[in-house]
Amino acid sequence: MKNELFPWLILFLPLLSATVIALFTLRSKTVSSLISIGAVAAGFVLTCLFVNANGIHYSGETSVNWLTIGGLNVDFGLKLDALSMMMLFVVTGVGGLIHIYSYSYMDEDAGKARFFAFLSLFTFSMLGIVLANNFLMTFIFWELVGVSSYLLIGFWFEKPSAGDAAKKAFITNRLGDFGFLAGILMVWGLLGSLNFSALQNAMVSNPAALGASATIAGLLIFCGAAGKSAQFPLHVWLPDAMEGPTPVSALIHAATMVAAGVYMLCRTLFLYNADALHVIAYIGGFTALLAALMAVQQNDIKRIIAYSTLSQLGYMVMAVGLSGPTPAMFHLTMHAFFKALLFLSAGSVIIGMHHEQDIWHMGGLKKKMPVTFWTFTIGALALSGIPPFAGFYSKDSILAQCLEQKNYLLFAVAVFVAGLTAFYTFRLFFVVFFGKEKTDHAKHAHESPLIITAPLVILAIFATIGGFIGITNNYGSQFVADHETLSLAQQFLEPLKTPVPMFIGIGVALAGIFLAFALYKIGDKDPLPAKLGGLATAMKNKFYFDELYEATFIRAHDFLAAVADWIDRWILEGAIIGAIRGGTDLSGRALRLAQTGNLQTYAFLFVLGVALLLYFVLGK
Amino acid sequence: MNSSLIMLEISVIGLGLVLMLADLFVPAERRRFIGYAAIAALGVLLVTSLSGNGSCGQFGTAFGGMFVNDALSLFFKQLFIVAAILVLFMAAEFSDKLAEGSVAEYYSLILFALAGMLFAASSNDFTMLFVSIELITITFYVLVSFQRSKLQSLEAGVKYLILGALSSSFMVFGIALIWGTTGELNFTKLADFLVKNPDVASSQIFLLGVLLVLVGLGFKIAAFPFQIWAPDVYQGAPTPTTAFLAIGSKAAGFVLLLRVLFTAVPSVTAHWANLLIVISAITILYGNLCAIPQRNLKRLLGYSSIAHAGYLLLGVAALSASGQSALLYYLAGYVFTVMAALFVITLVMRQLPNEDISGLAGLNQRSPLLAATLTIAMVSLAGIPPLAGFFGKFLLLKAVIETAHITHNHGYYCLAFTVLAGVVISLYYYFGVIRAIYWSKHPEDMSPITLSSPAKFAIWACLTGIFWIGLFPNTLLNITDLAAAALGK
Repeated sequence: MKNELFPWLILFLPLLSATVIALFTLRSKTVSSLISIGAVAAGFVLTCLFVNANGIHYSGETSVNWLTIGGLNVDFGLKLDALSMMMLFVVTGVGGLIHIYSYSYMDEDAGKARFFAFLSLFTFSMLGIVLANNFLMTFIFWELVGVSSYLLIGFWFEKPSAGDAAKKAFITNRLGDFGFLAGILMVWGLLGSLNFSALQNAMVSNPAALGASATIAGLLIFCGAAGKSAQFPLHVWLPDAMEGPTPVSALIHAATMVAAGVYMLCRTLFLYNADALHVIAYIGGFTALLAALMAVQQNDIKRIIAYSTLSQLGYMVMAVGLSGPTPAMFHLTMHAFFKALLFLSAGSVIIGMHHEQDIWHMGGLKKKMPVTFWTFTIGALALSGIPPFAGFYSKDSILAQCLEQKNYLLFAVAVFVAGLTAFYTFRLFFVVFFGKEKTDHAKHAHESPLIITAPLVILAIFATIGGFIGITNNYGSQFVADHETLSLAQQFLEPLKTPVPMFIGIGVALAGIFLAFALYKIGDKDPLPAKLGGLATAMKNKFYFDELYEATFIRAHDFLAAVADWIDRWILEGAIIGAIRGGTDLSGRALRLAQTGNLQTYAFLFVLGVALLLYFVLGK
Repeated sequence: MNSSLIMLEISVIGLGLVLMLADLFVPAERRRFIGYAAIAALGVLLVTSLSGNGSCGQFGTAFGGMFVNDALSLFFKQLFIVAAILVLFMAAEFSDKLAEGSVAEYYSLILFALAGMLFAASSNDFTMLFVSIELITITFYVLVSFQRSKLQSLEAGVKYLILGALSSSFMVFGIALIWGTTGELNFTKLADFLVKNPDVASSQIFLLGVLLVLVGLGFKIAAFPFQIWAPDVYQGAPTPTTAFLAIGSKAAGFVLLLRVLFTAVPSVTAHWANLLIVISAITILYGNLCAIPQRNLKRLLGYSSIAHAGYLLLGVAALSASGQSALLYYLAGYVFTVMAALFVITLVMRQLPNEDISGLAGLNQRSPLLAATLTIAMVSLAGIPPLAGFFGKFLLLKAVIETAHITHNHGYYCLAFTVLAGVVISLYYYFGVIRAIYWSKHPEDMSPITLSSPAKFAIWACLTGIFWIGLFPNTLLNITDLAAAALGK
């Protein structure tokens, strides 16, 4: 491996940045943010240099022995192959743009330095997941992502809703992580290693190595992914997590954290048997459908985009479940581009609107915010899957994967969701940018400064051309042994190889856009509730999942907690602990009496001790 | 004779003498800076020994087998030098509480005690053992009572002197009995003799001799039932002395204990598993229980040091190489942790009449660094990951459980359980200290505490040690495994 040091630097620079900010520069906003931006930018440059030196198809590991206890040998190692290197580009590249954007977005916030320390910590954690070469490391960084996302989502902790959202995200993730840890332990127990390469070799040499528990182990590990990538039934945390600052939404909910689950699934794809993959595919498909329906009736600009994230993650998980890691990772990367673009554009709108987020208070922003308008348009077209934008290529590859696996049910779901996606995206688009200004804020909206729009433009370029610049080639080489590398033109025309999904996909997307145009072109208010009645209310209320969980799990949990509290308070603490503590305390005080301070007593006790010792050994 | 092996000890004694002489020429108000020269000199010795060049890295025996240099002595010598360096830093900060201009004497006494510890690390003979112990103890009589104007310090000195003399007399009596029954004083030769004469090894008189030696060593490490002096002396002594007592003197006791039990009389030790288990368990419980009601921070640490002697005895009781290695590992972590704690006490309590825990109130605002350091030290002493104390305790417990598996002695399980109980009890009083730092009512004096740069350096060194030993166990484990292996030879 050339430049072996670089991956270590890429990983640890953000940690260094977080430490330096936390310890030394917390008082200076500018210095802190520059340190943080510098760390991630340096990571991006080093990634470029590393890939340039080794080639994207390189595959290898670099590790140091961390600890050896009995049979457990844990390395602290970095795995570098096409998969992780591409993710490095996404995390440091898209993440870096979000850092730069935050410099201006968070400018007036008193906690800007703290914000950048958290951002760096988060970047470090995410890079750790990307580079980890074994399950234990993945798990540790997995939890670090959980903690740092908690800090970021709850950044405005003085708002109760932000605090609640942070807790909800953390606890929901912990539920998934519980299964994840159990799965890891199971794999370790059955295969005796935690290293991904060793595990893969073991599975290749003996595909039945996991035996009867293969499905359970696979699904337990999937629990972790379901938590981070917000799959049904653990999807509830993601929309609420919009309480964090907008750059956080872009970073966590578009480019990094939610991608971690899909990435981990692709990293460990060799572990899952057909049954486990089947379950994964259907959960993904169901999440995609559910989230798309919910998005149709939301009114908060960030929440609509959040639900579309959920829905797109469902696509990716479904693709993994249909044995298509390449389409999944392809869509993940494209999604990172256009979803970060959409979030950051939404952030720009929110600044222009003086922190107003309800789309029905906006309107007519096209002329007021031209750059944001155009970048948002590109993002919306990419998300809807209109050629030649990035989302078209990746979504098409997922649709094609459904057909290739002959899973017509999931194909139908995917097509329907594609139509819905175009519909709700352009509903947002028309209501925000066209029609009349609905409030004074909208009348006085203004374009954001260059440091905000520049990242938008860069992301917009990638959201436009990302589909055919070779990204799918890079992933293909990871998962398919005899993958052929396509030229630019071939990639451009690749969807034509499978015309059926392509035309159906474009057709439903256009239909969705047209429907949105028809309903919302001039609309001041939403015509759908009148037409759909109860269904619209259900969509608006997210199909009452929060209420359902509230009534069942949380009630049951509260009841159990009350019982446990009673037992804890009266039986454990009152009776048992009370007795033990009292006894301990008393014996402590009693023993203290021996310590009289009197030298004669001490000497006497000393000699008594000697006598006792002699009696104990020799007297018997 | 191979006297080049003791170059390190000679250098340290020479350094002590030079410091005493320097006392004559340096004006009183600048004498604290002599300490930095001593630190620099010790630093040079440490670096030479770490790079494998010093005399302690040269393995072999001298003085007819009385003095041995091996991996074990190397480990302990480096440990002692590190401890002495940190104590000197502390003494420099403490100098204004000592009698005017007397700090240079204090420095040189520390170096003489250090020389005694270095000799103890290499002792392979009962004569050597006794002489090195006396060199340490007698120096400490002076070090403990060095604050001549303070009654408590003098009282502690007298107590230490009289009880120390008592224990020395037991020990010298024990050595006489060993000599009388076997005619051997050298550890290696004694072990050979016992293999050839098993009847002597089981004779009551000989065992009495060994036990009386153990009494003397038990006094040094403050194990039950010879722990009674520790709290009073820890509390009364000047804080740097307390630190050196808690680390240097205790570690010297442990290296001698290891040598005696596993080099000199291994065949006897093998039968004493239950004795060691009982002593270890009672020591842990005694130290932790008595620490609960304490209000004085140094006294609390005195009791906690008794409890830690109990934890360390686990490594002896395990009767295995992994146990001994764990003991050494734990000691290494203990050095940095205790130093960090006592350093903070030195700096914070300088202006206060006593070392009450309530004096810590508001420390988090007066000096966040000191507050964090003391917190980390307490957490590490309690044994919470990822700090040094956790990994050490983990290794000790692991060693004990392994032995339990092999020998089927249920006493070991009881001991492991006692450790867990002890740790839980200790959380109570360690966190009491943390609570006092962060959550107690603020005092009127909220002036920030200014730190000199050497003090900052020493504190950061301690913190680095605590984290490094807790997070990257492998390097140190390799060293301690090697050192423990030297015992079996």
